[in-house]
Amino acid sequence: MDFLNNLLPHLLNGLALGLLFALIALGFTLIVSVMEIINLAHGSLFALGAYVAMVIINPGFTDSGALGSYYMSLPLGLRYVIALVFAPIVIAIVGFGLEIILRRTYGKKKEYGLLLTFGAALVLEEIIRLIWGPAEQFLPTPDAISGAFIAHGMIYSTYRVYAMCFGIFAIIMVWLFLEKTPYGAIIKAGAHDSEMVRALGINLPRLQMLVFGFGAALAGIAGIILTPIWGLRPHVGIDATIPAFLIIVLGGIGSFKGAVTGGILVGLAVGLTGAYASDWSLLSMYLLLIAVLTFRSRGLFGKKTALEA
Amino acid sequence: MSRGLLRIALSASTLALAIGIQGSIATAQEKPIVIGITSDASGQYANSGASDRRGMMMAIDEFNAKGGVLGRPIKTVHLDTETTPAIGSRVAERLINREGAGYLIGAVSSGVANAISQVAQKYGVIYLNTNSSSPTESGKNCHRVKFVWDGNGTNFAKATVKAAIDKFGKNWLLITNDYGWGHDTSAATKKLAEAAGAKILDNILVPVGTRDFSSILLKVQQIKPDVIAAAVGGDDQKAMRTQIAELGLGDKYAWINNQQDWPDVYGLPRDNLFGVFGTTWYYDLDLPDVKEFVEKYRKAYPDTQMEVPGNVFYNGYWATRSLLEAIERAGSTDSHAVIKELEKLKVPAKERMQHDDAYMNPNTHQMQQTIYLATANPENPDNQNAMFKIIGYISPEKAKDEDADAACKLESFADTPVTNP
Repeated sequence: MDFLNNLLPHLLNGLALGLLFALIALGFTLIVSVMEIINLAHGSLFALGAYVAMVIINPGFTDSGALGSYYMSLPLGLRYVIALVFAPIVIAIVGFGLEIILRRTYGKKKEYGLLLTFGAALVLEEIIRLIWGPAEQFLPTPDAISGAFIAHGMIYSTYRVYAMCFGIFAIIMVWLFLEKTPYGAIIKAGAHDSEMVRALGINLPRLQMLVFGFGAALAGIAGIILTPIWGLRPHVGIDATIPAFLIIVLGGIGSFKGAVTGGILVGLAVGLTGAYASDWSLLSMYLLLIAVLTFRSRGLFGKKTALEA
Repeated sequence: MSRGLLRIALSASTLALAIGIQGSIATAQEKPIVIGITSDASGQYANSGASDRRGMMMAIDEFNAKGGVLGRPIKTVHLDTETTPAIGSRVAERLINREGAGYLIGAVSSGVANAISQVAQKYGVIYLNTNSSSPTESGKNCHRVKFVWDGNGTNFAKATVKAAIDKFGKNWLLITNDYGWGHDTSAATKKLAEAAGAKILDNILVPVGTRDFSSILLKVQQIKPDVIAAAVGGDDQKAMRTQIAELGLGDKYAWINNQQDWPDVYGLPRDNLFGVFGTTWYYDLDLPDVKEFVEKYRKAYPDTQMEVPGNVFYNGYWATRSLLEAIERAGSTDSHAVIKELEKLKVPAKERMQHDDAYMNPNTHQMQQTIYLATANPENPDNQNAMFKIIGYISPEKAKDEDADAACKLESFADTPVTNP
C-alpha cells in the first residue's frame, strides 16, 4: 500500500510530463507528415515563441507615452493571454518565411531540407542571442497559475497543472481541426497523397506554407508553456528538439495519435525512472525508443511501407 | 678574386649576417605569444564560458596595453569546447598543433578540463583550469602543466557542512549532477558530513541536461530530509532552482549548493536564490580596490548583460594575469621556468581583493584562497546585481583539501616536455 501511495504521485507526474512532451511534438509531427521535412528549426521556433511572448508581456516601453503606460497598467493575466495569442502568430509568420526559403529544396534530396532547417536553427538561435543576450531570461506568468498547492501531504506546482490542462486542450483542438474541419481533411489528404491533392485543384504550395506556419505556431505555443518550467535561454530549443524528434519516431512518423501516445509514454518513462533510478531518467526515453523500434520499426502508429508488406 | 674584392665580399657577408641576425631577433621579439582559449561557448556552461573569457581578455588587454609580455604582444585564439570532453581534447590538439598556442586557458566543466589537461601534459603546454571545481582536478587528475584557480568541492563543503549539521539537522540528502564534478563534490560532502555525524538518506543522481525536476522534487518530499546538499551546475541548476522556487521548497528545507557560479544565477528572480552556497569572490565585498575593479569591468564590457563581474570572471582574470606575470618574472617563456614561477606564486590579500593572502599549493597546483559563504540578499530586490549576501568566510588553511594533496601525483619535470613558445 505504501508502495502504491508512493508510486501514484510519480505516475500522475509522468502523465503530466508526457502531455507536455506531446505538446512539443505536435507541430513537429504535423510538418513531417504533410511535407516530409524534418524541421530541425523546431526547437529554435520553440525558443523564439517564448522570447516574443516575453516581449509582448513586458515590452519595456513604460516611458513611451500614454499608450505604453496604459498597456503596462493592464493586468499581467491579460498581457499573458495577449502573448499567448499573438506570439504564435509571429512565429507562424517566421514559419511562412522559412517555408518560402525551403521551396528551393523541394524535389531534391531530402538532406537539403534537413541541412537548411539545421542552418535556420543556428541563425534563429544567434538572432535570439543578439537581441536578448546569452543570459537567462524570465517569462512572467500570472499569479493565478503560479505557486503551489498541497494535496495528500505533497506540494505540487499550480503552473504544471495549468500546463498539463493546456496540453490536453491544445491536443484536442489540433485533433478537432485535423479530423472535423475541411482544412484538416485537406491537410491529411496532402500528407497521404500530395499529387492527388494537387490534381484536385488545391493550391498545394499554399497548403504547405499554411501547414509549416501552423507547425511553427505550435512550436511557439509549446515554448510559451514550457519555458516557465525549463527556463529561458537562447539554446533552450535544443532541449525541445531532441525529445520531439524521438517522440515522432517512437509514435510513428506522421501520426497524430502516435505523437500523443509517444509523448505520454516518454513522459511516464522519464517520470518513473526519475523517481526510482534518476540517473537513467534521460536514457530511459532512448531505451524506450530502442525497445519499440526493435519490435516495430515504423513506430507505434506509423504507416506500413511497401517493404514491410 | 682579388684580395680587395674578397675583403669587400666578406665584409658585406658579415654585415648581411649581422643584419639578418638582428632582423631575426627583432622578429622573434615581435612574434606574438599565442594563448589558446578553451572556454565553452555552447552547451551546459556556455554562459559561464563567456564570462570566463571576458576575465581572460581583460587581463590580456591590460598587458597588451603596456606592450605585451617580454616585449611580445599577446594574441588569442578561441575554440569552443562545447562543454564536451571529447571536443575539449580535439580543441586542445588543434590549438597546440595548428594554431601554435603556447598556453591554454579556460574551463568550467571538470570533464572538459581533465580532457584538455591530458593533451596539454603530453605536449608540455601550460594549461590553466580557471573555473572547474571538481576536487579531482587538483587531486588524482592533477598534472605538472595544469594549474587550478577555483575553489574545489571539498573547499566549499568545508565552509558549509559542519555549520549546517549544527543548525539544521543530521538527516542529509544529496542531489548530484551525474558527471565528474557532481560525483566528486558529493563524495567530498558525504565524507565530511558523515565524519561530523550526519546520516546520508539518499543520493539522487541528476543526468546532465535534465530540465524537468518534478519527479526528483516529489521524491525529496517523500524522503523528508533536514538538509539537501546539491551539486548541480549550469543550466540544470537554473531549471532546478526555478522549479524548487515554484513549489516553495526553497524555504521548506535547508539547501546547500556546494558552489554557486555568478553566471548561473544572474538574472534569476530573487526567490530562486535560496539556501547557502560557496563562492570565491563577490563584486560587493567591502575590501580595497574592489570598486575600482568593478568599474574597470564596466568600462571594458559596457554592453554585457552581467553589469558586474562575478566569481567566474574573477577566476578567469586572475589565472591569466598570474600566468603573464609569471612569464615576466621568469624572464622567459620556457615552460619549466614558468611552471616553477607559478608553483611559488603568492598574492597578497589586498591585491587579490580577498580577505586572506592566496598562494599556489606546489603539491597540487591549486590556488589556495579565501572561501566565502553566501546566501540570497533579501534587500534591494529590484537591484539585479545585489543578489548575494556574504555571511562568512574561511581562510585557505581551514578550507584546505588534504585529500587532494594525498591523491595528486604530479609528473616530474623530466617527464614533462619543455616548450618555449
